[in-house]
Amino acid sequence: MSRIGVLLGVAGVLALCGAARLQAHHSFAMFDTTKPVTLTGKVTQFQWTNPHAYIEIDVPDGTSPPKHWTVELGSTSILMQGGWKFNDVKPGQTITVVISPLRNGQPAGLLVRITLADGRVLSNGPGPAGGGRQ
Amino acid sequence: MTRGLASAAVALFATVVATGLAAQSAATPDLSGAWAPYRGGRGADPKFAAPPATEILLKGDYKKSWDARRAAEAEANKKGEPLATPAVDCIPYGMPRMMSVALYPMEIIQRPAQITIVTEAFSEVRRVYMNQPQLPIDEVPPGYYGHSVGRWEGDTLVIDTVGIKTAIPAYQMMPHSEQMRITERIRLVAPDYLHDQITIEDPVVLEKPVTYTLAYRRMPNYKMVEFVCENNREYVDSNGAVRLRLGQ
Repeated sequence: MSRIGVLLGVAGVLALCGAARLQAHHSFAMFDTTKPVTLTGKVTQFQWTNPHAYIEIDVPDGTSPPKHWTVELGSTSILMQGGWKFNDVKPGQTITVVISPLRNGQPAGLLVRITLADGRVLSNGPGPAGGGRQ
Repeated sequence: MTRGLASAAVALFATVVATGLAAQSAATPDLSGAWAPYRGGRGADPKFAAPPATEILLKGDYKKSWDARRAAEAEANKKGEPLATPAVDCIPYGMPRMMSVALYPMEIIQRPAQITIVTEAFSEVRRVYMNQPQLPIDEVPPGYYGHSVGRWEGDTLVIDTVGIKTAIPAYQMMPHSEQMRITERIRLVAPDYLHDQITIEDPVVLEKPVTYTLAYRRMPNYKMVEFVCENNREYVDSNGAVRLRLGQ
């Protein structure tokens, strides 16, 4: 599958949640999918782990130090089905992410899509059509 | 003359046995390999989608507590503070929920004497012992996968499972008793599409058996991904709500 242009992963999974009570490691209800937030910042850590991968980023907001955000991703399997590799993100790189923020206002959210340092765009898993690898 | 007859009889017997074995192996589908859940939705082919499930009809108090839990779940989700499930603590799903977790594939390893099913989420493993009698339920130590025996009925693999711990939620998080019995009828509906029709019987908890079907699509050459729950940042707060631990 193309590694670019897969933009519907999380939205698709969330849509399926409603349709089929899709079970996952945890409910996504703590994230607000109606208010996407775009962040551009410098990666401090990329954790390629289960049950979720995480990106930690410092986002300049005019203060010092910059504001720190935690971005939750799917699991490594789900990300690989969406075209990710374990080394697509590295500390020090500048990336842009669109996230569904935590509803409680803390600086964290669930990834919707990412623009990597090399310009590629990836989502948080595979497209929804039929499930599984497309 | 007698020796000749005996030889002929042996040859005939060998032919019959060989023919029988060939017929059996020809009729036994090969389910080996990786399979991904195949759900309805955009782009899915309705020909291969799972048929609808039957209704879950729980008895008296079980229904009351299940309804209350579902109402509390809906309320908590509305507030953005989802209630905890065992999976939040990285506890595996067990049977029967392990058979369909999000988009995670499963691998079937098929041998005549044993069929092994490995699921990717939480790396769960089931072993199905073929052509053996099932044990009485009270002889199976309650566990996540219980004791499974299987047999082929034509092109359908029939698996009987008992001995699932009552602490493990069943289909749609419904409760169950020690008497739960899970019968699966697994067959290829097309060369690359598999259906697992699951029937849950529980005379203590259910008014009548529940039947639902899971659909899968073959993933040729897929290499199963490891899944060790090493970085679980979700935790349950004092109100029972799921929270996310932030990084630095």
